Amino acid sequence: MKKADIIAGIIGILIGTYAIVEGTRMPTDAIMKIGPSFFPILLASFLILFSVILILNAFLGRSKGEVTPWNIADKGVQRGLITLIAGTVYCVLMAPLGFIISSILFLVYMMWMLGNRKPLTLATAPPIITISTWLLFEKVLNLSLPPGLLENLI
Amino acid sequence: MDFNWDLLISSYAAVFNFDILLMIVIGTTAGIAGGALPGLTATMGIALLVPLTFGRPPVESIAMLMGIYCGAMYGGAISAILIRTPGTPAAAATVMEGYPMARRGEAGRAMAMALFASFFGGVFGALVMTFASPIISSFALEFGPVEYFALAIFGLSVVVSISGRSLIKGMMAAFFGLLICTMGFDPISGFPRYTFGLVEMMEGPPFIPTLIGLFAVAEVFNEVQKSGQVKQIKAKLDQYLPSWSDIKYCFKELIRSSVIGSFMGAIPGVGCDIAAFIAYGEAKRASKRPEEYGNGAIEGLAASECANNACSCGSMIPLLSLGVPGDAATAVLLGAFVIQGLQPGPMMYKDNIDIVYQILASIMLAQFAMQIIGMAGIQLFARVVLVDRKILTPTIFVLCMVGAYAMRSNIFDVYTTLFFGITGYMMMRYDFPLSPILLAMILGPMAEANLRRAMVISSGDPAILVSRPLAVILMVLAVLSMIFAVRGHRKVEARLAALGEQLANITEGEDEEGEEEKED
Repeated sequence: MKKADIIAGIIGILIGTYAIVEGTRMPTDAIMKIGPSFFPILLASFLILFSVILILNAFLGRSKGEVTPWNIADKGVQRGLITLIAGTVYCVLMAPLGFIISSILFLVYMMWMLGNRKPLTLATAPPIITISTWLLFEKVLNLSLPPGLLENLI
Repeated sequence: MDFNWDLLISSYAAVFNFDILLMIVIGTTAGIAGGALPGLTATMGIALLVPLTFGRPPVESIAMLMGIYCGAMYGGAISAILIRTPGTPAAAATVMEGYPMARRGEAGRAMAMALFASFFGGVFGALVMTFASPIISSFALEFGPVEYFALAIFGLSVVVSISGRSLIKGMMAAFFGLLICTMGFDPISGFPRYTFGLVEMMEGPPFIPTLIGLFAVAEVFNEVQKSGQVKQIKAKLDQYLPSWSDIKYCFKELIRSSVIGSFMGAIPGVGCDIAAFIAYGEAKRASKRPEEYGNGAIEGLAASECANNACSCGSMIPLLSLGVPGDAATAVLLGAFVIQGLQPGPMMYKDNIDIVYQILASIMLAQFAMQIIGMAGIQLFARVVLVDRKILTPTIFVLCMVGAYAMRSNIFDVYTTLFFGITGYMMMRYDFPLSPILLAMILGPMAEANLRRAMVISSGDPAILVSRPLAVILMVLAVLSMIFAVRGHRKVEARLAALGEQLANITEGEDEEGEEEKED
């Protein structure tokens, strides 16, 4: 936990510092005394303060909790990382390919990856889930989803 | 003060409309199913279902949200009883009695009692809430910028009580959340801040995508790491209502837990999980046979379920009157209200008391819907618990992205959801609480805009902040709530540790029989 707390503290300090540096470039307000930068700079200062306390606590051995370290050999960690990458690819492809195609591909891949290898389920579940979601949003709720490649068909 | 019966009756009458009743039924059904699905918490369920309410008029969507909220509270008990996984944190105490009962072959009895206790607590809480409203509305004084600023500070002080194990991390999460909501146009001068040159960021980070990212996508990343199948207890669910002798036996607990639940709910910052535990603890203390607790004491189950539903109604009081949520689920609900153009807070009781009554009426009807749907669908909901996670988890991810995209039809919102999903997952992994971010995103803009407005009024003199008595009271309350929360924190931690051990004991006993494979 100690190392994790120190890294988290450093990230907090970096975010706070960025907010303050950007804040100083904002225009000041002569009449109201406090301009657009007042609130963010105040908040960023507190963020830095608590980040420093977190780091100090870590050095003083007062970190709480346990964190299992990242272990790439661990199946769970691998699944987590693969999901993260697959999810990102899915989001990027959603606009060009369209909701229906990208979702079916994503669902098939994810189900297969999580260990569902039954051909029948892989062939039926993703299209059923995708198309019923599409119908619910497009037809019942009148909210549009990205059509992508199927733009002329649907 | 006089109770306005006419308004109450007309508000109830307004809710008896086909569209609204339908929304309550849909919401309650979705809520029970969502609460029962393992790996889908009530908070996550609400966040996922909020997009379904976008296109609906406010009263209909709020009716649906109330249905989801109340349904999910009961739904959590189903997975607690059948697979020893509380669907909501508030159902954790239910596991301790419900699961041993199910193992004894009394799953039907436990489910019937859980449903009835939820219904009883819910109706009790809704009544308390209805009759407490005029008292609150008489408090709806002239709220100016200074009071609003103080109210936001008070709401933020609640952060401490919802920040989980580490206060420092809770504070960091809150200030991170507050910083996030300073992105976009400055509320007074209109200067664009921290937009990274993106047009989409001009109005700040979109709320619903952020919420879905933090509370649903993050959970998906967490969920795929677990593997193994949960085994359900095979049981005949042939009981729809608890027997008369069970009701008589638990009646004292039902009343006591309803009172505890409603009262705890009305305190800002006290979540339903805490209420359920206190009610459960009190039931055990008052019991003549405390040794039965932990081995399937039906009155313990009744106490826990009754209190968490009473609390979910009671927590509407601070939510609607102050705009301060008690836990993550109500915080998401608050966000959903804001999306519908309703700003809960003192002004709502002053200007929109009719909507307040309609919300109360919806909650009351949602309890009846819950009892009826819960009885009718008991076999179905018991099966929901068994849905294959290999299909469910990726589907939730798809639904998250759809929900994020649907509101503005903008792919940028999908990326925002993904970003906050990853951020939320990393934060969860390293023990940072997520609810303070949400609370900060709701209360932050209110705090800043009103602070700045107050400063404009006083031409920059900060003394204005202590010039109004109500504002001073709120700030003092904020400080007091911080102090009490810090002091209470250790006690809560000790209690949680004790509970964790108890749960572990139940689990161990089970694992010896080799009924469950779990490899987190």
